[in-house]
Amino acid sequence: MEPVTQACPLDQELNPGPFSPQADALTTEHTGRMEVFQALQRLHMTIFSQCFSPCGKFLAAGNNYGQIAIFSLSAALSSEAKEESKKPIVTFQAHDGPVYSMVSTDRHLFSAGDGEVKAWLWAEILKKGCKELWCRQPPYRTSLEVPEINALLLVPKENSLILAGGDCQLHTMDLETGTFTRALRGHTDYIHCLALRDRNPEVLSGGEDGTVRLWDLRMAKEVQTIEVYKHEECSRPHNGRWIGCLATDSDWMVCGGGPALTLWHLRSSTPTTIFPMWAPQKHVTFYQDLILSAGQGPCVNQWQLSGELKAQVPGSSPGLLSLSLNQQPAAPECKVLTAAGNSCRVDVFTNLGYRAFSLSF
Amino acid sequence: MSSESSKKRKPKVIRSDGAPAEGKRNRSDPEQEGKYYSEEAEVDLRDPGRDYELYKYTCQELQRLMAEIQDLKSRGGKDAAVEIEDRRILSCVHFMTLKKLNRLAHIRLKKGRDQTHEAKQKVDAYHLQLQNLLYEVMHLQKEITKCLEFKSKHEEIDLVSVEEFYQEAPPDISKAEITMGDPHQQTLARLDWELEQRKRLAEQYRESLSNKEKILKEIEVKKEYLSSLQPRLNSIMQASLPVQEYLFMPFDQAHKQYETARHLPPPLYVLFVQAKALFKPHEESQDDESDSDAEEEQTTKRRRPTLGVQLDDKRKEMLKRHPLSVMLDLKCKDDSVLHLTFYYLMNLNIMTVKARVTTATELITPISAGDLLSPDSVLSCLYPGDHGKKTPNPANQYQFDKVGILTLRDYVLDLGHPYLWVQKLGGLHFPKEQPQPTVIADHSLSSSHMETTMKLLKTRVQSRLALHKQFASLEHGIVPVTSDCHYLFPAKVVSRLVKWVTIAHEDYVELHFTKDIVEAGLAGDTNLYYMALVERGTAKLQAAVVLNPGYSSIPPIFQLCLNWKGEKTNSNDDNIRAMESEVNVCYKELCGPRPGHQLLTNQLQRLCVLLDVYLETEIHDDSVEGPKEFPQEKMCLRLFRGPSRMKPFKYNHPQGFFSHR
Repeated sequence: MEPVTQACPLDQELNPGPFSPQADALTTEHTGRMEVFQALQRLHMTIFSQCFSPCGKFLAAGNNYGQIAIFSLSAALSSEAKEESKKPIVTFQAHDGPVYSMVSTDRHLFSAGDGEVKAWLWAEILKKGCKELWCRQPPYRTSLEVPEINALLLVPKENSLILAGGDCQLHTMDLETGTFTRALRGHTDYIHCLALRDRNPEVLSGGEDGTVRLWDLRMAKEVQTIEVYKHEECSRPHNGRWIGCLATDSDWMVCGGGPALTLWHLRSSTPTTIFPMWAPQKHVTFYQDLILSAGQGPCVNQWQLSGELKAQVPGSSPGLLSLSLNQQPAAPECKVLTAAGNSCRVDVFTNLGYRAFSLSF
Repeated sequence: MSSESSKKRKPKVIRSDGAPAEGKRNRSDPEQEGKYYSEEAEVDLRDPGRDYELYKYTCQELQRLMAEIQDLKSRGGKDAAVEIEDRRILSCVHFMTLKKLNRLAHIRLKKGRDQTHEAKQKVDAYHLQLQNLLYEVMHLQKEITKCLEFKSKHEEIDLVSVEEFYQEAPPDISKAEITMGDPHQQTLARLDWELEQRKRLAEQYRESLSNKEKILKEIEVKKEYLSSLQPRLNSIMQASLPVQEYLFMPFDQAHKQYETARHLPPPLYVLFVQAKALFKPHEESQDDESDSDAEEEQTTKRRRPTLGVQLDDKRKEMLKRHPLSVMLDLKCKDDSVLHLTFYYLMNLNIMTVKARVTTATELITPISAGDLLSPDSVLSCLYPGDHGKKTPNPANQYQFDKVGILTLRDYVLDLGHPYLWVQKLGGLHFPKEQPQPTVIADHSLSSSHMETTMKLLKTRVQSRLALHKQFASLEHGIVPVTSDCHYLFPAKVVSRLVKWVTIAHEDYVELHFTKDIVEAGLAGDTNLYYMALVERGTAKLQAAVVLNPGYSSIPPIFQLCLNWKGEKTNSNDDNIRAMESEVNVCYKELCGPRPGHQLLTNQLQRLCVLLDVYLETEIHDDSVEGPKEFPQEKMCLRLFRGPSRMKPFKYNHPQGFFSHR
């Protein structure tokens, strides 16, 4: 005898109430799913930006999901550090898109990513449910797609913040009034990085179009252009011509990316030293008498000014996107170098010779 | 002294000699009536004291004479010899006196002895008499005591008490006047009465016995009648079956089931009851049966057990199943059926399940889909981590140690899988790591898990069947995208899937581009692994896929390796990493319509689209001769964005262009 078949109500979604005994069985299944999902998220996380707090004891890191995590450096560096100390104290969703860049003043943290810049108070940031102080969007020309902001730069002398990114312009925002004062045009492709030249108030920018341009802030126009890819010594056509990283020391500038990492003399616009690194570099900075660079590949490279590779210290990520040196005078015990990139981990170097440990999202 | 002994004998001899010695006179007249010399008679006449004096005097005389003789002899002289002779004769006479005295003494002694002897004999006789009399006295005393102790049998009988006796007994027996005074008569009367009563009661007893016999016979008859009734009722029920069927009331069938179900061990019974309760109101899509497997019980051969065989037998004994099992058939929407058979292992107190999937139409199994519906793995990890290879009851470990079983894994093919959800459905709860003394089946535990588990089982079967169908298509190089998922992808996709194969877990772990997944613990041995190959022109993209048994609520995980102008993986190319992220992390938009079975195929299609974008947006190296291998056909707003210079992998639906996330 064939039983009568009807549509079983069970075939639809089962939504048990909060106190239903079914909830137990479902939660086990749910947790299993959540665990896998979280593991996948962490595997595919990229940390784009880092920033130290003004007191020097905390590190903020921004990732590609738009989250910012605050780590306590003093806890992680202390002698009783446990595994939990290497986890963030607080993580919050800052932006809808990736957080490409962060800078910090005495009291504020600025983060920028998908077209907006937000400000956070350091004093409030450790509390749960922290909200941004303000959120601004520079005036963009195109409306089809919101351009990203790749670089933030603080100009302390005129108390302003410079943003640069996807719309190929440098926008200046006055920090007191919050208005956008200048928009410097000149790049033909989006801007990757910014650097400030202290003596004359000039800003350098490097972009996807392969040029490094100098801008005079007072006159608000382009002063000098260096087309890096046109110089044979440093150009590497198979990598492209994009300039990914810039650092300047008033008379000198080091830049890298598609072309090789090169040290330039600014006044004469000539490349003086080529650093023989075939992997494109994504971040470069001057430190004491060394140049530190990082990019594709897990190592932090230390170069002498003469062009010799002094050391290559491996980190834990397969590729690095940012380096940060904690030189805050208030916390000399937290004087570390941190490196982050294509993973959910931030490597902490207490001594430039080796990686001490890693903080992790 | 010989003289004494001779003196002893001498009385006889002396008598006979004495007679002649001084009896010359006597011999001469032996016929003299009674007048002959008897020394015995003389003894009585003489006084012993005087004899003693005489003896002393004689001895003195002898001594004197001897002394005189001595004197004379020493003096010498002629007359001495005559003197000596006189004295010698005197001394001889003295000697003879001494001899006589001696004789008399002996006779006296003898007489004395005889008298003593007689007296002694008399005393002995009296003594003997006395003993005899004493003995007799003792004997008599014993007899008296015996008589006094004698208990008559009548005292052993429990008689009714005196008062009762007087009350109950009829006067002709009790005879109060006589018996009151005389205890003997009273006892006799009581005994009489006792006897009467007993006779009466014995009569009653015999009557009752016969009654009882009669009644027993009646009962027998009635029983026979009833037993003949049973087959008649059965035949009536059989006859009513067609009526039941006609009216759609399978009363009989259900009743039979419940009958058999009563023999089920507790956990199986809980399962049976709960399953019936769950599906009763809906009245469909499930068939419940309890099955008897009597043949399992028989052992096939008898052999002399060696040690190994003994161990084997012990193991078999420990793993023995209860002969009854519960079969549950879950029918899904598309007419495929999941057959579950639940067993109960008696000694281990756990339940196991064997699963089988049958479909409405015959399935041709593609090569890569071998494991999807295999009974061994189709129900693996229904709940996360529940792989069913280890016994859930921690107490079993001690039992296993005794018979040398390492793990239940070796026996699961035979016995079924002891999943945790099976134990919960049977109401058995094993708290972790603490062997409980007894775990009893609990209905509330079973009912709280039944609904969810059944739903999960259905989902599992349906997703596996969907995958089965999809694999058949994938093996032919076609990614089967259903019409309601077309909006996720651009119209033109040039990259093609050329290969889809299963790979083993060990092979997956060995691949150089899967290290991250393995380290993150997402590649266990309960997952299924596949390798897909997507090609376009000279570019070959390998994708290693981890398929979790919990598909499709847990997404498959892809790891990519592109071979085009060098080998690019997520460790050396940020865009490969972004492609993986598009497929692994952003999977929710690829799930498709509700049950989400389209996830894998959509992911594969997206992979093809991503490869297209990647290849077409690669900047042309000016230093190399020749045109671009892949001209850009996709509409993109911008080619690169962000510090890591991401390609535009996100497809925007109605507009049809690619942008960045």
